Amino acid sequence: MDDDGNKRRMLNCSSSVNNTIAISEKVVTMAPSSGATFKSPQGGESLYDPGWDPNVSWSHSENFGCSSSKVSHDIFANSSYPILLEKPAVSSTSHLFHCRADPNVTEMLPKLPIFLSGNFSEMVESFGLTGCGQTSDVVCPRSFTLNKNGATEDSSLGAAQALGDFPVSKDRLVAVSPNGKRRAPDPPSFDPKKNAQGDSQENISGETSQQKDTCEKKQKIKQNSGAKQTGNEAKVNSRGGDAPKEDYIRVRARRGEATNSHSLAERVRREKISERMRLLQELVPGCNKITGKAVMLDEIINYVQSLQQQVEFLSMKLATVDLELNFNIDQIPLKDILHSQGGGTSINGFHPGTSSSHPYSQGFHLSNLLGISNITSQYHPMPQAMWDSDLHSPSPRN
Amino acid sequence: MNPHPSSCSNGRSIRTRFARRFLRALKKIGSKGSSSRPSPRDISWRCRRVKIAADASMASAVGPRRVWSRTMLNMLRSRSHACLHASRLGNSRRPGADRHAVGKRKRLVLKRKLPNRLGLNQVNQLRRLVPGGEAMDLDILLDETAHYIKCLATQVKVMRSIVDYCSA
Repeated sequence: MDDDGNKRRMLNCSSSVNNTIAISEKVVTMAPSSGATFKSPQGGESLYDPGWDPNVSWSHSENFGCSSSKVSHDIFANSSYPILLEKPAVSSTSHLFHCRADPNVTEMLPKLPIFLSGNFSEMVESFGLTGCGQTSDVVCPRSFTLNKNGATEDSSLGAAQALGDFPVSKDRLVAVSPNGKRRAPDPPSFDPKKNAQGDSQENISGETSQQKDTCEKKQKIKQNSGAKQTGNEAKVNSRGGDAPKEDYIRVRARRGEATNSHSLAERVRREKISERMRLLQELVPGCNKITGKAVMLDEIINYVQSLQQQVEFLSMKLATVDLELNFNIDQIPLKDILHSQGGGTSINGFHPGTSSSHPYSQGFHLSNLLGISNITSQYHPMPQAMWDSDLHSPSPRN
Repeated sequence: MNPHPSSCSNGRSIRTRFARRFLRALKKIGSKGSSSRPSPRDISWRCRRVKIAADASMASAVGPRRVWSRTMLNMLRSRSHACLHASRLGNSRRPGADRHAVGKRKRLVLKRKLPNRLGLNQVNQLRRLVPGGEAMDLDILLDETAHYIKCLATQVKVMRSIVDYCSA
């Protein structure tokens, strides 16, 4: 299991070489707090020799991880920990190393990126986790033994630890890493680390998992588009069936539905009807909130009746008005009629305050104002004598 | 069959065609009448003529593409022929016969009191409202209703604007 973890991290390290290069460059560009200059670029370049031994890097990175895990303790607490909290991004790692930029660390610097790529999760995990307090405790006494170069104790940044502690820390880290990786999907317990974790997870664990996700997404998109396409196909084909372009309608049975031809045809028919009802809902004013066929049909019927009645009233009005203004008909410019929107203009001379947006009351007002004795209110039966020539049956006047 | 003319240009063209034809018909009606004070009978005749002109111009503007327009044109033609024949034969009861049939349908409607599960009552009502709706499937009926509503709305708009212009 440890070997597998090792191999995984090696894979991650090798796959995320680009990340490491970027991070190392960032580390280089940052001015060290101690004022010492870096020799990291050279170190960094030397790192990527073909003869680079992954095991060495692994041990170094682990040691670094172990050492850095003791954030709660002196060296890290002042410098790195707050910075890490402030900027919970991948770049925070560079900041972390930025504080630690000591000449003593030059040897370790090349390995830091590898550690970053491979074990940042564990590092972050170990920073504030109560569960990993043990790791810090275990590692704590060893952190001060890092001074291979005889530098100050502040170089706990973590130069190489005593290798004697290696196996224990490794176990700890291994124990942490699965947690770290398992934690990625769960909401982390602490918010500042969230982004860092997520980013690290994405950068680290991920290229394989990322590829899997994208593949899944692609599959899902394909499935969705496929489902959409089938729906669209059904609709398009049903429309095509109306205008007889195709001889038959091709429909795919949806999941969980009967595949009987009758039920399929019925489903298509029902979808057609519901689609038309929706279109009608848009046409008839004030029907946006109505759900249900019967109520909607009632509204449609009322609206059609009112429109027909409006036409009749207007024709009556035209007949009476035009009697006096016969000569005007020739001069009615078409543009006037076409440009004047019927909804905006109320009928002049009659109830200027009437809002013409309400169709039902319009006919009523017209009937009152026209003063023709035969014309009564909307729902009273009209005398048949007037409407003998009606094309539509007067049965709407229930 | 014509797909739903949701574009503005389509509605505008129907409106233009209807307006032109309707104005032409109004001119004819206006020219027939006398300029002196008309009797109520003249007024009623005029109203009828204007109504027929409105429906006929609307139906012809739409064209034979729609079921309802086709039905309306056929009815107009048959009525005009019937009226012509009736006037020739001196039989003025012809239009009354239709009224009688209409009355029968009215009585049928009042008798029907079945539970309205699928909105069948409303559907039948709608069939009667829309010309030619008796012999249509429900989805085609709804399609026709939508187009019919659109055309009625444009008809109302144009007529109202004419009235406004004339009365202003």
